[in-house]
Amino acid sequence: MTAYLIRRVLATIPTMGIVAVFVFLLLHVTPGDPAAIIAGDNATPQNIAAIRERLGLDDPLWQQFLRWIFQLAQGDLGVSMFSNVPVSTLIMQRLEPTLSLALLSITLAVVLAIAAGVLAAWKAGRTLDRVVMGFAVFGFSVPVFVVGYLMIYLFAIELRWLPVQGYRPIAEGFWPWLRHLIMPATALGLAYVALIARITRASMLEVLAEDYVRTARAKGVATPPLLLKHALKNAAVPIVTVIGIGVALLISGVVITETVFNIPGIGRLTVDAINKRDYPIIQGVILVFSLVYVLVNLIVDVVYTLVDPRIRY
Amino acid sequence: MRFHRRHVIKTGAAAGALLGMGMPRLARAQDAGTIRAVMHGDLRVFDPIWTTANITAYHGAMIYDTLFGLDGNFDVRPQMVQDYGVSEDGLTWSFRLRDGLGFSDGTPVTTADVIPSIRRWAARDGAGQHMMRRVRDIVAKDERVFEIQLTEPYGLVIDSLAKTSTPLCYIMRRQEAETDPNEQITTFIGSGPFTFNQDLTQPGNRYVYDKNPNYVPRDDAPSGMAGAKIVKVDRVIWENIDDAQTAMAALQTGEIDFMETPPIDFLPMLEADPNLTVQVLNTLGNVGWLRLNFLHPPFDRVEARQAMMHLLNQEDFLRATFGNPQYFRTCGSYLTCGTPMESDVNMDWFTQGPNPERARELFAAAGYDGRPVTILQATNIPFMDNSAQIVAQKLRSIGINVELAASDWGGVVTRRAVQAPPAEGGWNIFITWGGGNSVASPINLSGHAATGTDGWFGWPSDELHEQLRDEWAAAPTLEARQEVSRRMQENAWNFVPHLYLGQWVAPVAHSARLSGILAIPEIVPFWNIEKSA
Repeated sequence: MTAYLIRRVLATIPTMGIVAVFVFLLLHVTPGDPAAIIAGDNATPQNIAAIRERLGLDDPLWQQFLRWIFQLAQGDLGVSMFSNVPVSTLIMQRLEPTLSLALLSITLAVVLAIAAGVLAAWKAGRTLDRVVMGFAVFGFSVPVFVVGYLMIYLFAIELRWLPVQGYRPIAEGFWPWLRHLIMPATALGLAYVALIARITRASMLEVLAEDYVRTARAKGVATPPLLLKHALKNAAVPIVTVIGIGVALLISGVVITETVFNIPGIGRLTVDAINKRDYPIIQGVILVFSLVYVLVNLIVDVVYTLVDPRIRY
Repeated sequence: MRFHRRHVIKTGAAAGALLGMGMPRLARAQDAGTIRAVMHGDLRVFDPIWTTANITAYHGAMIYDTLFGLDGNFDVRPQMVQDYGVSEDGLTWSFRLRDGLGFSDGTPVTTADVIPSIRRWAARDGAGQHMMRRVRDIVAKDERVFEIQLTEPYGLVIDSLAKTSTPLCYIMRRQEAETDPNEQITTFIGSGPFTFNQDLTQPGNRYVYDKNPNYVPRDDAPSGMAGAKIVKVDRVIWENIDDAQTAMAALQTGEIDFMETPPIDFLPMLEADPNLTVQVLNTLGNVGWLRLNFLHPPFDRVEARQAMMHLLNQEDFLRATFGNPQYFRTCGSYLTCGTPMESDVNMDWFTQGPNPERARELFAAAGYDGRPVTILQATNIPFMDNSAQIVAQKLRSIGINVELAASDWGGVVTRRAVQAPPAEGGWNIFITWGGGNSVASPINLSGHAATGTDGWFGWPSDELHEQLRDEWAAAPTLEARQEVSRRMQENAWNFVPHLYLGQWVAPVAHSARLSGILAIPEIVPFWNIEKSA
């Protein structure tokens, strides 16, 4: 297992290298000139040319690439072309809100979805099953921004229970942190509740039809332990896979949620950077995202061994 | 390798604490001492000389002061300057700084700071460059007195130093002012009413300004960018809320106090809220522009440019984006309507209304050969997006082949700089807007130049226009400038450097708890504002 983990971690290095090349090339073939955006609308072509030269954007692409890779090799993601703030500082400032939102969403989603999926499988074909599956279809179909605006209208404007927008770091207290995240996490998690509930139900239905479950039932095992101990544990592998995919998908899903609820996370940082063509930020954020994807996949593979002892690396 | 829940929880808690360290801690301040505002855009660049972005000019007005200021009546008044004068031959302007002026770090403001600040600003600004072509030298007489020595009399010396169109002539410390104008400064210390709190600022999220304890106000009452800029709160925070709907909800619930550009279609809802006030601060508003590329057919021919004047109706553009006529007006003047430079010379094309048949004839006279007219369409900015589609439709209606090149604004600003033919990555038309106050001055706005490929995008070229701009700048009185403006308009609507798509104002919405907001063209000030408990 240890050797496997070391191999997997080492494999991230060439993966990240390939990502770096693609990101750089993709950005530089996309139309857009940061110098023109920096200079502003009233700037003359001469002003823009001077800024472009100062930022090194006139240099041949290979020179710009080598400069960036050399920086990267020293652990330096560069500085924002606009604010002059180091990209690593910007990412660190934005990491906590995004991780908070993603973790709270996935926690809500996993708890609710597994309960709903297990219940739906237990009552398959009956009213409860139809209600859960109907909710799943709804959760999947309604865009996150629609849910977000409706929640803002109801809970923030009408009832004044929760704040419309913003984020409070957990260091300022658990309740202020949670108050600002309840609505965004619910809006974002809704689609994942639907996804995980459906997979849980399908996987549970398969397991509940197995001989050993019938045997357990015949031996008089009560329903709760039968569902949770005997069936759910054996249905866990596909559920863990979907949760893993969900975590990865959440990272992209946070972009809209962060915009609607004004959460200063990595999603908004990325969109802002793309709009203004701030290459160092875009490159840095995509590298970090890629690293997170790779790590999530690794964690999922490790979790397999915990839920299914037959799996060995 | 074995994993235990306890280890996972411990690791998670440690990671949480570590990540929390990256977030600056900002004291919650819903109190009367803090104003939270959502401005029209994100403050991307902090150096107000390096960029012409309006939001950076606002930022500059918070932390820097200017030598002169435009008051509420658009008159120039001394600001950092105590008194000034001009020699009889008009070649030497003398200025004496106010006594006791200091930067927020406690150092005094002297001519050693002022002169490089003027030079750095002039290197980047169109009006500054126009003035500097007539400047022999700027010399310090002592720590408080300096002179601008000219090679010929120039009527816009103090007007240029006072102008509110970007970039403004902000006075910085010598060490920042001596930075290469093409490089961004990294320290932001001024002698203005606020200080920039970089510790609590989070780029892209919020920008924090604290009251400057070392600010030395003038004795006279505040008016526009002139007079005493007395700060009546402890802190101003610009929250960057991208989504207008969310910002509006936050304004309604009191989470923010001020929203600079609420969407026009939501104004009735905000006006009906007794806790909010909707008001127009910038009465000159903005002027929509349609730029034509002089370098390539069909708009290299004057007939095709004149055809556009007969084809388009400003009201179509204004209604499509702003809806409510309370907030817009049509205007056929070359220099902004509502200013002393407004004129009605050579405006038959405007007063008679659109004439598509005439436009068709003029395109034929221009030798239009059926090649596509490429319109740059910035799809992420409603006015530009809507207007590009209207122009396309109008052109198609008279048989012109049109190609809409859709991209975000970032794509448009890149492509508009391309001088190659449209088929090789260039363009024929793009749409933007300028501040009404800037458009009123033939010198302040880069887009008024008609200097060909050295000028602003579209590269109009006309010798008479350039001669008239120089005459306007040298004119000694308002009446003389108005007379030149009329001749300039006569000529402009003959050679058609560009077209206007109408004029509109953008009201701000704010909490009824705020009072004392000053009306300044192109700048939103936060001094003089009181916030009741």
